[in-house]
Amino acid sequence: MQGVIGAFRELDSAVHAVDELKKSRIGDVTVYTPTPRHEFEDVLHAPTSPVRKFTLVGGTLGVTFGYWISIWTSEYWPLVTGGKAFASWIPYTIIGFEVFVLVGALSTVFGMFYVSRIPRLTLTVGYDPRFSHGDFGVWVECPPDKLRSAEEVMRRHGAVEVRGER
Amino acid sequence: MASYAEPRRTGTGLPNIATGDVQLPAVRDYEQVDNEITSTMSPTAGWFMALGAAILCMLIGASAWVYQIYWGLGQAGYAPPLMWGVYIITFVFWVGIGHAGTLISAILFLFRAGFRTTIYRVSEAMTVFAVMTAGLFPIIHIGRPWKFYWLIPYPNWRLIWPNFKSPLVWDVFAISTYLTISTTFLYVGLIPDIAVLRDRETNPVRKRIFSVLSLGWRNSDREWRHFARAYLFLAAFSTPLVLSVHSVVSFDFAMALTPGWHATIFPPYFVAGAIFSGFAMVWTIVIPIRKWFNLKHYVTLNQLDATAKVVLFVSLVVGCAYLTEFFIAWYSGNRAEQEYFYNRVFGQWWWSAWILLCCNMIMPLSLFSQKLRRNTTWLFILSLFINLGMWYERFVIVVPSLTHEFEPWQWGNYLPSWVDMCFLVGSFGWFFMWFLLFVKQLPVFALAEIKEIIPPRLKEAHSHGDHIDVTGHHQAFEPDTPGEFA
Repeated sequence: MQGVIGAFRELDSAVHAVDELKKSRIGDVTVYTPTPRHEFEDVLHAPTSPVRKFTLVGGTLGVTFGYWISIWTSEYWPLVTGGKAFASWIPYTIIGFEVFVLVGALSTVFGMFYVSRIPRLTLTVGYDPRFSHGDFGVWVECPPDKLRSAEEVMRRHGAVEVRGER
Repeated sequence: MASYAEPRRTGTGLPNIATGDVQLPAVRDYEQVDNEITSTMSPTAGWFMALGAAILCMLIGASAWVYQIYWGLGQAGYAPPLMWGVYIITFVFWVGIGHAGTLISAILFLFRAGFRTTIYRVSEAMTVFAVMTAGLFPIIHIGRPWKFYWLIPYPNWRLIWPNFKSPLVWDVFAISTYLTISTTFLYVGLIPDIAVLRDRETNPVRKRIFSVLSLGWRNSDREWRHFARAYLFLAAFSTPLVLSVHSVVSFDFAMALTPGWHATIFPPYFVAGAIFSGFAMVWTIVIPIRKWFNLKHYVTLNQLDATAKVVLFVSLVVGCAYLTEFFIAWYSGNRAEQEYFYNRVFGQWWWSAWILLCCNMIMPLSLFSQKLRRNTTWLFILSLFINLGMWYERFVIVVPSLTHEFEPWQWGNYLPSWVDMCFLVGSFGWFFMWFLLFVKQLPVFALAEIKEIIPPRLKEAHSHGDHIDVTGHHQAFEPDTPGEFA
C-alpha cells in the first residue's frame, strides 16, 4: 500500500481536493472526517451501504425463530385449555416481535462491523489522531508515478500537511 | 455570549424553537467541543462525594437483600391478599424511567428533532442503567434469586418449556431484548467518541483500553457511511421496541381480572407514563450536569424548553388516561370497579391517589408558562415531583387493586416494611452509582453528533451572508439536519 495523506484545516479545501482527485482518477480516495458531512458524500459518489441486507436477513430469521419456538413448544408439551388449539398466534406475536427486534438489530450491528472491517487491531497507514479531533484527512492510494500529482493537488487546495506513506 | 439564553424570535413574536434549538452559537469549533465535553471526565471532590453516597445507598439495599435471603420473602411486608408490593412498583417505575432514553435517542432521531442532539447520550445511558436496576426487582421478588435462570426460556426441568402465553414470560423477553438493544445502541453511538478519547489520551493503559473499545475506528468515509445506515436501522428497531416494552409490562396487570387492572387503556397509558417519568429523570440528571460542568451552552434553554413542551403534552395524555379510567368505571356499571375507584380517591388510599394527581396532572400545567419552561430551577424541582408522582402512580395501580378486590373478605391493608424501603433506597444508589461512573469514564454528550451542528471551518467566503458562524466564517454549505448521520 503506497499513497499520499493530506491534512486539511478547512472543510471546503478538503472537499475541493477530493473532488479533483476523484475526477483526475489518480487513485482510491479515503476521507477521514471528525463528523460525517454530506459534502464528502456528494463528491465521493459512494454506493449505498449494504448494511440493510444484514438487517433484512437477521430480522426475518428472528421473527421466524420467535414464532417457531413458541408454536413448537406448545405442540411438544400440549396443555389443553377449554378445547382450544395448543398454539395461539396472537400471544406468540409478542415473542415473534421481540426476537425479530433482537436478532434484526444485532445483525445490523454485525453487518456494520463486517462491511466497515472493524474491529481492527491496528490503525491503518495514513491515519492521524488529528482526524478525530478537528482536521480533515484525505488519503490517496496510488502507484508511485502518480504520487507527485496527488501531492500537488492537495497542496494547491490548501492542505496544511502532505506526506507520502507506505 | 449570552445569546443562547434567549429564544429566537420569529415574525409573530413567538420563540422559534424549531430552529433555535439546533444552534449552539457559543460553540465555535470542533476543538472546543472535544475540550469542553471531555473536561467533564476529570474527577472532582463533589463527584467522589456523590459516588460515595450512591455506593452507601446501594450497600443499604444489598444488606437488605442478604437479610431477606436469610429470613425469607416474608420480610417484604407481604400479607394476603397483597403479594405484590414495593418490588413490582419499583420495577415498573425503573422500566418507565428507561423509556425516555430510547424515545429521545431513537424516536426523536427519526423525527429529526434537533433538541435531542446534546441530551441523547445522557438519556441512553440513563436507559441502560434504569433497565439494569429494574431487572433486579423480579429477581429479588422471586425470593430465591439463585433460581433466576429458570425464567430463561429453555427446557429447564424434565423438558418443560416456559408458557409462552404468560405475560410474565413476555416480560422476560421484552425486558431482556430492551436491555440488549439499548446497550448496543449506546455502545454503537459511543464508538466514534471513544476513538476521540483514544487519540487524545496520553496515559498508555487508558489509551490501550480506549483502543480496544473503539475497535480501531478511524473516522473514514466508509465507516461513517455504514455507521449512519446501521444507526438508522437501530433507531427504526428501537422505536417499536420502546412502545412495546411498557405495553408488555402493562399486560402483567391488564391480563388479570382484578378491578383497576383489567383495562384496554393500559398499554398506551403505561407508555405515556413511562415517557413522562423518563423525561423528568432526564431533567433531574441533565440540569445539574449542565450547571456543575458549565455546559449551559450545549444544553441550551431552547432545548429544555422543547423538552418541557413534550412533558406538558405527555402530562395531558396521562391526565386524560386517569380521567378515562374513572369515566369507564362509572360508565361500565360494574360495581366492583366503581367501588374500587371510589376507594382509590376517597377511601383507604386517598392520600396516594391525590399525590399522583397533584404531581402528574396539576403541577405540570405550570409548563404552559414559557417563563417557567425556561426556568431550570423550576424544571428541576418539577422533575422531582414528577418522579415522586410516577412512583405513586404505580403504587396506586398495585396496592389499592390488590387490597380491594371483588369480595369484602379479601380486602386488606399494606404497610411496606423497612426491607422494602431499603430496597427502594438501594435501587437509587445502584442507578446513580453506575451513572456517576459513566460520567467520569466516557463523554456525557455526543461529540461527533454535536460537531455535526457546529459550522465547519471554511477557507472561502461565499456570497450568501445569512450563514455566518460565530467565528465570522461564511458557511459554504448549508447546515445539515442534526443527527442525520449519527
